[in-house]
Amino acid sequence: MHRAQRRLLLPAAVAASIALALTGCGASNFGGDSGDSASEEGPIKIGAVLDITGVGANLGVPEQNTLNMLAEQLNAEGGIDGREVELIIKDNQSTEDGAAKATTQLIENDDVDLIIGSSRTGPSLAMRPLVEAAQVPTISVAANAAIVDGSEWVFKTAQNDLVVLERILDDAASKGYTKIALVRDATGFGEGIADIITELGEERGITLTATESFEPSATDFTAQMTNIRAADADAVIIWGITPSAGLAQAAYVQLGVNKPVYQSHGVANDAFFEAAGPAADGVIAPMGRLLVADELSDDDPQKPVIDQFIADYTEEFGSAPSSFAGHAYDAWLVGTKALESAGTEPQALRDAIESTADLVGISGIFTMTPENHSGLTADALIMALAEGGRWTLYEE
Amino acid sequence: MIDFLQLTVAGLSQGSVYALLAVGLIATYTVRHVVNIAQGDYATLAGLGSISLVTAGLPLPVAILIALISVTLASVLIERLVIARVKNLTTLVSIILTLGVSTLLQAIMLLIWGAEAKRLPAFPGSDLTLGGVSIRSQELWMLGALVVVGGGVLLFYEKTRWGKALRASAEQPVAARIVGISPAVASVIAFAIAGFVGATAGVVSSPIYLSIWSGGLLLGLKGFVAAVLGGLVSFRAAIVGALLLGIIESYVAGYVASGWKDAVAFFILIIVLIIRPAGLVLRPNAVRV
Repeated sequence: MHRAQRRLLLPAAVAASIALALTGCGASNFGGDSGDSASEEGPIKIGAVLDITGVGANLGVPEQNTLNMLAEQLNAEGGIDGREVELIIKDNQSTEDGAAKATTQLIENDDVDLIIGSSRTGPSLAMRPLVEAAQVPTISVAANAAIVDGSEWVFKTAQNDLVVLERILDDAASKGYTKIALVRDATGFGEGIADIITELGEERGITLTATESFEPSATDFTAQMTNIRAADADAVIIWGITPSAGLAQAAYVQLGVNKPVYQSHGVANDAFFEAAGPAADGVIAPMGRLLVADELSDDDPQKPVIDQFIADYTEEFGSAPSSFAGHAYDAWLVGTKALESAGTEPQALRDAIESTADLVGISGIFTMTPENHSGLTADALIMALAEGGRWTLYEE
Repeated sequence: MIDFLQLTVAGLSQGSVYALLAVGLIATYTVRHVVNIAQGDYATLAGLGSISLVTAGLPLPVAILIALISVTLASVLIERLVIARVKNLTTLVSIILTLGVSTLLQAIMLLIWGAEAKRLPAFPGSDLTLGGVSIRSQELWMLGALVVVGGGVLLFYEKTRWGKALRASAEQPVAARIVGISPAVASVIAFAIAGFVGATAGVVSSPIYLSIWSGGLLLGLKGFVAAVLGGLVSFRAAIVGALLLGIIESYVAGYVASGWKDAVAFFILIIVLIIRPAGLVLRPNAVRV
């Protein structure tokens, strides 16, 4: 019996080592082995890791729609340099480990040339070490500056939390507010927000007097809002994504806190109004120009790009795109422009993305530098006011 | 003090949802010894279904009525197609089976309604403020639903002949059959009740907690914790336990940290299972049905 087993072991071991050697070859560009001539032909592979199900669904679903639509358009026009573009979208289920798993699959099995994602900060941060190690150019569509802080291979298209808070605090200071309370998302998106407010507030004479947090899956916000009601503040910042930030807004109004509210660009969609209902009225939030497109002046350089995108998206999906759809559009734009000029060789592609300049997108006009992998400044933001179930232009 | 009362109100309304689910869980457990993991999915199914019907133009009460009936029928269908087919149904087998049913229901809901959370319009009524404590009219609807539907089920089981027959068929299946109570009919009725109370929880809570395809499992587990507080047999203890659970969760979120909220239920579950596995009301040596 024992001998029989031992006899089986040898062929099994041989088979295993052959299999290992084969997979080792298959993943040859895993270690940044850039001279892989095979990947210079055939379809260009773009992978995307998005928060399609779970708490990030309000972000990931329109992003998925956008990428599918743009890939179809690009291939209908003949692809990039005559090469078809193959888009592989994976759902990270709004989890960090889901994002890591999907990223590993894209790198090792699908051998992608470029990765877009994730939709939220946490999953994007989980992807970062993997794509840095594998040296795959990656464009996140999430907000927190930590995603690209000091990164070599990671870029992103959503406006940085830092510039968003600058706009909020500038507005608060101009209205004479000196004390701010914060209710923030407990995950990556809200991480570090309190510190930034304290830091930016100092030069504007604003202090942070209270901080509460909520899970993006939360449905009841009574606890946070009762504490905020008891806090000493002139205005409140609610920092999160929909639907949770919308439900938080509803609880805020219902509990009669009665102080002005700023929200982040995480609520730049119609889902905010569905979750908050009439409680949304009066909220001020910095965001890109997409949602107030009809109020833009005709000489706005972004207007033609935005109008075209809204028309295409609405025709395809029957509803207007959210800012998150815009972040995906921008990631696709930055990525495909770089692929056009540099091809799929990883180092060249990365350098091409980093040298993106004056590229007019949906969320702003992108100029990347080695120090700035986010590409947008405070100019990319307008202040929007929630009024009658939609966002209107409050301040350029 | 106002904050304390405000947190209590929030806890009671959240607890009323747990309570309805606990009632559904106990309904099927007392009759078939089935722990129905899909109980929470009945709630999301009814919530999403009624949202679609309202979007299609039906008036809110009609949409809710159709959703309640459909989910009740779906629960009966699950009993006939899945539960009734198993010869030697143990509680463990029922957990595995209904976990499968739950996964299937969630996949179907994801395909039909998509990944994003949706909201049912609020029921008629205006919010009120009592001594500084703000109460949403929907919260009164939720508590009212618990009183009417939960209380109705309780009375049905304890006061009516049919209800007593259901309990009898669980306690003494052979004797019950001899006196003419069909175990199959009893099981169908129990699942119909479970479907109906689950669906009720789903439609009354959707206007403030929203409905999302994946939301059922956690809701169902919270209901299960409340049911365990009632030893899986006592409706009264489970309802009280569910309201307590909601309130404690709310206090923990308000006074400790909101991140601990969801952990509370499972902490309580562990403590109860170690110290009083028979639930809060029964004497530990009492016979469990």
